Amino acid sequence: MISKTFIKETKELFREGRVRISLFIVLLLLGVAVWISAKQYQNINEQYAMAKTAEREVWDNQGEKNPHSAAHYGTYAFKPKYPLSLVDQGVDKYAGTSIFLEAHKRNEAQFSAAADQTGLARFGDLTPDFILLFIIPLLIILLGYNSFTKESEMGTLTLLKSQGISSFSWMMGKWSALFFPIFVKTAVLFLIAGIVLNNLNDFGVFNWTSLGVMFLVYIGYYIIFINIVLLISSLVKKSGISLVLSLCVWILACLAAPKAASNIAESKHPYPTRQEFAANVLKDKKEGLDGHDPWSKESKLLEKKVLQEYGVDSLHQLPFNFSAYRMQKGEEHEAEVYFKHYNYLKEQYANQSKVYRNLAAISPYLPTRFLSMAIASTDYDTHWDFADAAETYRIATQKFLNDNTAQNTRYGERGYKASANFWQQLPAFAYEPPELDTVLHRNSSNMMVLGIWLFASFGLMFFTTKII
Amino acid sequence: MIITNNLTKKYGDQIALDQLTLKVGEGEIYCLLGANGAGKSTTINLLLGFTEPTSGNASINQLDVHKNPKATKQLLAYIPENLMLYPSLTAVENLDYFSGISGKKLSTPILKDFLEEAGLQSEAFDKRISAFSKGMRQKVGIAIALAKDAKVLLLDEPTSGLDPKASNEFGQLLQKLRDKGVATLMATHDLFRAKEIGTHVGIMKDGRLKQEFIVDNITLNELEMFYLDTMTYKEETL
Repeated sequence: MISKTFIKETKELFREGRVRISLFIVLLLLGVAVWISAKQYQNINEQYAMAKTAEREVWDNQGEKNPHSAAHYGTYAFKPKYPLSLVDQGVDKYAGTSIFLEAHKRNEAQFSAAADQTGLARFGDLTPDFILLFIIPLLIILLGYNSFTKESEMGTLTLLKSQGISSFSWMMGKWSALFFPIFVKTAVLFLIAGIVLNNLNDFGVFNWTSLGVMFLVYIGYYIIFINIVLLISSLVKKSGISLVLSLCVWILACLAAPKAASNIAESKHPYPTRQEFAANVLKDKKEGLDGHDPWSKESKLLEKKVLQEYGVDSLHQLPFNFSAYRMQKGEEHEAEVYFKHYNYLKEQYANQSKVYRNLAAISPYLPTRFLSMAIASTDYDTHWDFADAAETYRIATQKFLNDNTAQNTRYGERGYKASANFWQQLPAFAYEPPELDTVLHRNSSNMMVLGIWLFASFGLMFFTTKII
Repeated sequence: MIITNNLTKKYGDQIALDQLTLKVGEGEIYCLLGANGAGKSTTINLLLGFTEPTSGNASINQLDVHKNPKATKQLLAYIPENLMLYPSLTAVENLDYFSGISGKKLSTPILKDFLEEAGLQSEAFDKRISAFSKGMRQKVGIAIALAKDAKVLLLDEPTSGLDPKASNEFGQLLQKLRDKGVATLMATHDLFRAKEIGTHVGIMKDGRLKQEFIVDNITLNELEMFYLDTMTYKEETL
């Protein structure tokens, strides 16, 4: 009976003009979105590769130079674009693509794509994730809002009931007929994305497993929408009411809930303003050692401690250049200050994420969005990981430079220049995003919430089969 | 076989059906006559299990309708006044679906045989229902009953709105089913058709079965007279 209803519903769906048109439009949009994203992905990665090579060449070819001058001259850590960003661009557009690494200071990522665009960027881009998260649920509503109401409106319901149709089989037949085109369309999109990514071997390592997991997340999201739409259609009498209620659910879940969650999260766990953050960092920096200031109380204390440790009376008797040593200690203090303040930002971010997770109870969009971005390595967690890796590299770079000065000069010696080939000894910055297992572990709560939505929506739908 | 015993349905204080007792045996066509609101459709709805009786009971082939809803639905076929089918599906596809959900797995040639037996022209088999007249849809309804091998047929004013030719064809189809032993209960306003194809006639008014006749024992004129007498009786008492 399920297969009979499935075949009947599928024939009806595909013979209706609105369905053919809507399917065509969505497929067209998906094709355009994938093509645009693939182009962007390719362009950005080409720029990334060029910038990375050019910057390294500049670093390697500084010639003879004082290491601390080189530290102030700085270098860049570039954030690559990951293959699955072709499907979900996440926060990439707003998060910045490179971090300037210099002495004494931890900088934030800059040169975000959004900053390069005009105010028209507020309208958003046509990306696959926009279609996957917003348009396909709308298509589900369009295809399914009258699944049950049409039976009573057309007058076929009495004939069906008189034939002794089983409510469960009827529901499952309709469910599978609605699920089938959505599944095929999503599978086609992911397959095309996979093939495109697989052929862009020059940029990042593409992982079919990650793409498969992302596909399953979206399929789960669509199943929830299918269940809700069929539930509404089975409970109301008129197709118009069913359409309005289903659209209300879409507005609430996809538009209102994320914005409300953002507002609530920000008001409950606000980030400090840029000025506040900078002032707090400066205050803490001043309370510790400044590597450039040999006359400060902290410098004098360090001097005394080192002299005692090495059992000598004068800084000139030390086997290394104390100025460079002090510079490194100053760097370490500053790194601690930055660690403390960035850690606070991370805590606030974690608290905000918790608010989002709690509000996921009112919207399956939220856990889906977070899971999708995380698997695509385009979420804030990955951005934090990248920023932390860049900071670790910055600290290591400063130590590498300060140690060179400390080991190769004596206290009071001025004008030291490292050799021209010294710079090449610094390993290049390399960052790999977290593995899929780690991503899924981090997002276990989002997976749980999505699972609860799935089971609850199935439960409610099957419960209504008793009252159809 | 259809049997009702003191079958009663009340909506609040209003009595829609009052202690109806009737029997329709195999190969019989029982025509229920009566004005709108007489209780004809309520009787059919109770037999279909669409609504619960307030008291009394109804059975189909010795199975209580409300205690065995699935089993009794397997035995019956129903054709309402306006049989609505899926407009974007063809006649064969509609028949395939409706016979399929009642558990019958029939091949396309067999489905076409049923449509042919129901009097549908072969050119219409693969045409969408949206292009069908009411008479053609009623024929598909008969084909559904044939495909289901229904033992009982419930008809709610099936010839209402049909032209005389289509109505006559429909009557002939019912007679075919009667010859196969199908027990038919038909609610109708059409005295002529009731006399022509029915084996039994009952006249209902205000939810009560007022009179019953064996059709062979009564002329059309007598039936018309009894019907009008029953209908006007109320007006006189008022």
